[in-house]
Amino acid sequence: MINVRITKENAKYKKIDILGHAMYDDYGKDIVCSAASSIVTTTVNGILALDKDNLSYMISKEGLYITIKSTDKTTQILIKNMVSLLKELEINYPANIEVK
Amino acid sequence: MEFLKLNIQLFAHHKGQGSTSNGRDSAGRRLGAKAADGEFVTAGSILYRQRGTKIYPGINVRRGNDDSLYTTVDGIVRFERLGRDKKQVSVYPVEEQK
Repeated sequence: MINVRITKENAKYKKIDILGHAMYDDYGKDIVCSAASSIVTTTVNGILALDKDNLSYMISKEGLYITIKSTDKTTQILIKNMVSLLKELEINYPANIEVK
Repeated sequence: MEFLKLNIQLFAHHKGQGSTSNGRDSAGRRLGAKAADGEFVTAGSILYRQRGTKIYPGINVRRGNDDSLYTTVDGIVRFERLGRDKKQVSVYPVEEQK
């Protein structure tokens, strides 16, 4: 299961850890993983395209650790949109992704 | 900070091992000789388990419905040639043995 851990400070998104594996299907056929990867990659690259210092990330075997440095409105809206999409994914595939 | 490379299996588990529908086998049937040449056997003993007639029944030996060869008398086991390219197994009662 993919575990999405959200950390906020003063109602602003601060950190998002996306860890684990969807385990929906074998590598290459895991559509839940594919959806989550695409949502996250689109958002991260979109924010970096606005300003390379808006956030930083680290990839490890466990998953992806995102640190949101900017509290500006656009960055926060894009992150919020990502979180809502991941939550929608959770509704459809509760056994494969969990957002907290 | 570099852009994130799009890997749409970023959160997929280990490389998918292809599954196979093979991998089944039946237990071995333990075929083959159950008595050695020159060995003393009692009537009814199984001499050879086989499928078909790898070995033919000889003197005092009969073939069961699963092709197993068994002896009808007490005696000594002899594996012998049968014609050019066949084998048979016989059992000779002790006083008669060759």
